[in-house]
Amino acid sequence: MDYTIDGNPDYGHLLVNLDPGETFIAEGGSMAWMSDGTRINARLLGGFTRALVRKIAGGESLFVGEFSHPEGGQVSLSPAEPGTVRHRRVNNDTLILTGGSFMACTPGVRLSARFGGLRSMFSGEGLVFIECGGMGDLFFNSYGALIEKDVYGDLTVDTGHVVAWEPTLQYTIRGMGGLKSTLLSGEGLAMNFTGVGKIYLQSRTMPSLASWLSPFG
Amino acid sequence: MPNYTVSQAGSYRSVIVELDRGENFTSEAGVMFRASDNIEIDVTTRSRGVGGLMSGVRRMMSGESFFLSTYRTRDGGPGEIGLAPTLAGDVAVIECSGAGGWLCAGGSYLGSSDGLSIDTQFQGFRGMLSGESLFFLDIGGRGQLLVSAFGSVKEVEVDGALVVDTGHIVAFEDSLEYAVGKAGGSWLQSFLSSEGVVMRFSGQGKVYLQSHNPDQFGQSLGGLMPPRS
Repeated sequence: MDYTIDGNPDYGHLLVNLDPGETFIAEGGSMAWMSDGTRINARLLGGFTRALVRKIAGGESLFVGEFSHPEGGQVSLSPAEPGTVRHRRVNNDTLILTGGSFMACTPGVRLSARFGGLRSMFSGEGLVFIECGGMGDLFFNSYGALIEKDVYGDLTVDTGHVVAWEPTLQYTIRGMGGLKSTLLSGEGLAMNFTGVGKIYLQSRTMPSLASWLSPFG
Repeated sequence: MPNYTVSQAGSYRSVIVELDRGENFTSEAGVMFRASDNIEIDVTTRSRGVGGLMSGVRRMMSGESFFLSTYRTRDGGPGEIGLAPTLAGDVAVIECSGAGGWLCAGGSYLGSSDGLSIDTQFQGFRGMLSGESLFFLDIGGRGQLLVSAFGSVKEVEVDGALVVDTGHIVAFEDSLEYAVGKAGGSWLQSFLSSEGVVMRFSGQGKVYLQSHNPDQFGQSLGGLMPPRS
């Protein structure tokens, strides 16, 4: 199997060459085009109960697609939002992705859904994370530019801008400032990361575009 | 033949069309962002190859309010117009030889030169049950077809067969055989994996693809917006 990421930083997409018998996992609905004869099997993500929780909490698809081609073929995958596609090798370590950031992976990567905690539920943001472990190639995407940052100490980030982080970082979720400023400023929830590790952020968020547009609707 | 200059910098392309003496040009209504002061614009719902009130009504019925603008110079001299698509992305110039026709996705049509006919009556996908709009323009004749893509555009020479999500199709040669169908092995599998309706191309010919799917982006954004009151 080999892959090519094309179109970064603005229109990143992924082209995968599958050998006979190989499989590839991708977010539901991300296939743009593929060789004739490619098989797609819907697969539940991380066990039914968790996937159901994820569906209710995150509004994400319950299923991922498993692609294979008996004679070998190509699959091209695109995220729903324009931005950057990033590859990361998972090698018995873990990366945690926010719900919409997962794009694709090889079958050796273990995916499981995780809750953002009650606080995020009550805030209406319903944070759901995908923990990616095991061994293999992982692909994730940002809306807008992808910003990679090494954290030493601590960093506060608006939750909507978080794409992924290494679990050596601990986080707490809280409002940006007090209740009054949360309500008045339009700043959503913030995640406060502490420790040492890498974090990936996106330069734009879809909810802010939607709320900017809605007064004109 | 008009001269086309597609802006090459950045992610938001546009095109300048330079018209020679006596040349006309047609575009989707509303995409012109600049023009020399001798340009005269006529907005119409008809075009060469189709005529009459009914085809205009059909255009309105198709939900795209498909009106066309025709440009000519008032003084018979040369002139220029600039065209800009709605979405971010590429603009491509497709050379139509006249040997065969093209089918262009309704949302990807930007403009066309004098010699091309635009037929909105294309019914090739009749009977399709699909949430996504499958509205294609049937382009015939000889000239240049301007298309816009959401994201980057890619030209693929089909030799054999290719399966494409309908939201990623910009235009294709009608020398290709095409069939609308499901992506997975069964409708259930296609539904569960959210891979909806695809088009299967076979034979020989060119397909223009866009890297991103406008419907998908629209649904993703629309889902975040409050319902209209």
